[in-house]
Amino acid sequence: MRIYGSKELVSDVAQRDLCIGCGMCVNICPYFKTYKGRSAMLFPCTLEQGRCNAHCPKTEVDLDALSRFFWNEPYDGSPLGRFKRIMAARTGEKVSGSFQGGGTVSALVAYALKRNMIEGAVLTGAEGIEPMARLVTDAEQVATCAGSKFIAAPTLTALNQAVREGARRLAVVGTPCQMTAVAQMRMNPLDREDFADPVALTIGLFCNWAVDHRQLVAYLAERMDASTITGMDIPPPPAEVLVVKTTQGEEHFPLKDIRKLIPHTCFICPDMTAEWSDVSVGMYEGRPGWNTLLVRTPAGAELVDKAMTDGWLVTEAFPEANQKALSDAALAKKERSFRNAERHGYLNQDDEDSRPALRVPPEVLNQILDVPSR
Amino acid sequence: MKTICDGRSGDTRLMQGNEAFARGALEAGLSVVAGYPGTPSSEIVENLAKASTVRDIYVEWSVNEKVAMEVAAAASFAGLRSAAVMKQVGVNVASDFMLHLAESGTRGGMILISCEDPGALSSGNEGESRPFAKLFELPLLEPCDMQEAKDMTKWAFELSEEIRNLVMIRSVTRLSHASGNVTLGSLPEIEPEARYKHWGTPIDPEEGPITTFPVHYKHAQMQQKLKQAVTRFEESPFNTYEGPENPEVIIVTSSACTLYSREAIRLLGVADRVGLLKLGTTWPLPPRLMETHLAKADVIFTVEEVLPFLEDSVKILAAEISDRIGVKKFHGRSDGTLPTINELNPDLVAEGLAKILGMTYQAVDPTYTALADEATATDAPERDLAFCAGCPHRASFWSIHNALEMDGRQGFVCGDIGCYTLAFLPTGFSTLKTGHAMGSGTGIASGFGKLDRFGMDQPVLSVCGDSTFFHAVMPALVNAIHNRADMTLVVLDNSGTAMTGFQPHPGRPSDAAGNEVPALDIAKIVRAMGAHVEESDPFDVDATRHKVLELLQKGGVNVLILKQSCALCPEKKGKKLFQVDLDASVCFGENCGCNKLCTRVFKCPGLQWDPEAKAARIDEVICSGCGVCASICPSGAITKKEVA
Repeated sequence: MRIYGSKELVSDVAQRDLCIGCGMCVNICPYFKTYKGRSAMLFPCTLEQGRCNAHCPKTEVDLDALSRFFWNEPYDGSPLGRFKRIMAARTGEKVSGSFQGGGTVSALVAYALKRNMIEGAVLTGAEGIEPMARLVTDAEQVATCAGSKFIAAPTLTALNQAVREGARRLAVVGTPCQMTAVAQMRMNPLDREDFADPVALTIGLFCNWAVDHRQLVAYLAERMDASTITGMDIPPPPAEVLVVKTTQGEEHFPLKDIRKLIPHTCFICPDMTAEWSDVSVGMYEGRPGWNTLLVRTPAGAELVDKAMTDGWLVTEAFPEANQKALSDAALAKKERSFRNAERHGYLNQDDEDSRPALRVPPEVLNQILDVPSR
Repeated sequence: MKTICDGRSGDTRLMQGNEAFARGALEAGLSVVAGYPGTPSSEIVENLAKASTVRDIYVEWSVNEKVAMEVAAAASFAGLRSAAVMKQVGVNVASDFMLHLAESGTRGGMILISCEDPGALSSGNEGESRPFAKLFELPLLEPCDMQEAKDMTKWAFELSEEIRNLVMIRSVTRLSHASGNVTLGSLPEIEPEARYKHWGTPIDPEEGPITTFPVHYKHAQMQQKLKQAVTRFEESPFNTYEGPENPEVIIVTSSACTLYSREAIRLLGVADRVGLLKLGTTWPLPPRLMETHLAKADVIFTVEEVLPFLEDSVKILAAEISDRIGVKKFHGRSDGTLPTINELNPDLVAEGLAKILGMTYQAVDPTYTALADEATATDAPERDLAFCAGCPHRASFWSIHNALEMDGRQGFVCGDIGCYTLAFLPTGFSTLKTGHAMGSGTGIASGFGKLDRFGMDQPVLSVCGDSTFFHAVMPALVNAIHNRADMTLVVLDNSGTAMTGFQPHPGRPSDAAGNEVPALDIAKIVRAMGAHVEESDPFDVDATRHKVLELLQKGGVNVLILKQSCALCPEKKGKKLFQVDLDASVCFGENCGCNKLCTRVFKCPGLQWDPEAKAARIDEVICSGCGVCASICPSGAITKKEVA
């Protein structure tokens, strides 16, 4: 993995319009800030290597290097990433409150805080529809950040802020791009003691795409009084609508319109299930009130087991057929994204002048792209 | 208090050019002076303001130059002697009224002193006012030293009263701001009585209403007045010739260039070959005097700053009388004997003169130049043009710049005239993207703010200072509001006309002479106009950036007032708001996480990079204690403590 500085971050990410606004480059230094879903460089930094570039999930993400770091195994391109167990999960009776889906994420975070397994959790809250990075240190506050945001969020600004203020043993809940960024951060690519891994737990969220915050705001502003918005939801298929909750009730917008607001950087993302995390959680299609839970690491397994034992989490077996469907969808995302990245020249380049967004072992790439399109 | 009233007739005093102008006006019995501050003119009004403590004159810093000239004209109309004082760009502002005034004529002696800035040392341009004399058919005087500055000022009042029209006096930086010996005249004991006589017919110069009507009649009269002035110019002691009776070359010059020309002749040792015709009355040229001298040589070298104004007049006159003086060869600014831009100096004139005479002249030994360049590169500290330590503008532009970058729509700021003009440079984070005349930033922003229908989606801001706000921004803001432009004006209110030396303006509670006057509240004014108004302390960079970001989202006309006094203002100078300290052991230095933000980007002169400690440090002598660096330091190495 080659590491560059802020100059290349701007040319390779901002100028290619690949920035998803995860917030990973913000609050490490004074040069990057985020505002309404966009990260911006305020002034050029002259360092040839920087964490802004090294941690960014859109600058040369070397999947093989990540895999070897996390699993001590080469990257094999398996659709759901490496995992120990897959199961259905929902909150146990110890957890109060209502959650979108099964509440598994909230339950796990609240439990980890309660049992002091972590100092704090970096979560994504919202003001209106604007997603907001939050550092939560009290289990009771976790519920305020529950629910999918559907909008690319600068969550990791809160991680960097907390680390800068001296916090360690943090949990991070985030989308696959955010998990990739955090994974790269944990690798300490600049190899400096003071940048050592401050993260104790990562909970990844399944994600196919997110909507660009500014474009969504503009879209909604043309069609409704945006100041009345209190929240949003995308109900499971076959609804095909975005439901916007307002102080006056609900407004529905066709999902086919909303999909046009997906930034194209989502279409080079090969990760649907947040492979670089301790556990990954997503919807359980066809079974409201439940989640799909992938346990990937020993740390993830320990948390899940304890939470089950203490009644914070209930699990069930995850049916074979559902796993097949999930795996197919994840593979389709990989295939589509690798093709896209390759077509745009963002994949596996080796020369100095054109740097890739993704690096994938060629044999894995061939294997995935050979899969006949469905 | 020492004032320019000190000293008796016959005393010789060392005086700055601008003091000499002021003294000359007093010796002429001036009653009213009005001006707008601008380098290099400001000291004239300032000295007269001081003099007003011991002499009964009315001194005013007006809201702008046009109004200053109107105020001075009123005194003239009432029979008093008056002066309007400004820098060259101010004459452009005053010019609309000035054309009408030239046609209506004056009563009490009235002069305009325009102090100009060849080389644009303190200006946004190298413009000059002399062409206005021709355009408006007014007599023009150009003194060459401090004595003449005083004497010609006094004489200009007499001339004005004689022809009943405005007389222009033009100075330049090297005259206004240099000092020389002046032998004083006496200050008259006068008891002026102001009365505007308007009961006669419009063509009655003594008791009629003063207007430009009937236009043709008045225009003819105006030309007659100019002819009368020329008659006086023919005999003027301010036009002199020195040199041989039959020189090879005649230098025609005026103003500070007289001294450069005299020195060039001496440097080249050509006093026996070159004559010097020094003109104090440069428009219109006195034809008989010119004929006498132009006839002496075949080669005419005109030396002046900056445009070939005098040169053109000489050429036209020489053509008209060529049957009597013969065909001449002309050199000057037009043919490249002298550079077509910038100030002159004795070396440049000597080089030009040497070329004409077929001599070689090298002002500076090239070996010396090479050594000097080398020494400059290695020994002199690298310094850009920069805002002072603790300047509120640095903090303001920090916030504006960062808000625009975060907003990310390629928004920009239309600049204006003031210290903050420097913000087009790195010291203001290169935030300004247009820069023209006083008030133009807001006028231009008003225009940009209407281009959305053509697809323009960049947010538009303008900035202005508090004095500029009153001077020329108000009409532009009215325009923007009335025409529903989308723009944000940021008023950088540093509580005075800071760039020119803290002269008061209509937003301040005292006038030129220190009297208590009503201060106009900018926030109230813009609110009454119908703009959305916010206020912030620019030293609070986070709150200010937040406010700018909010306003960028809002349509219509917004005004953000950033109020914080200039670090050099008399009330603040030398006093620190905060004791600022830097703990080098905490400083991130060149590491990822900072990379010298305070000394590489923020660049307050009070912060210095210590290459040995690999940390920033605070220069206690320069730091003015604004505390802003503590807010931007990412490591917490810089801390501030309020000074009790």
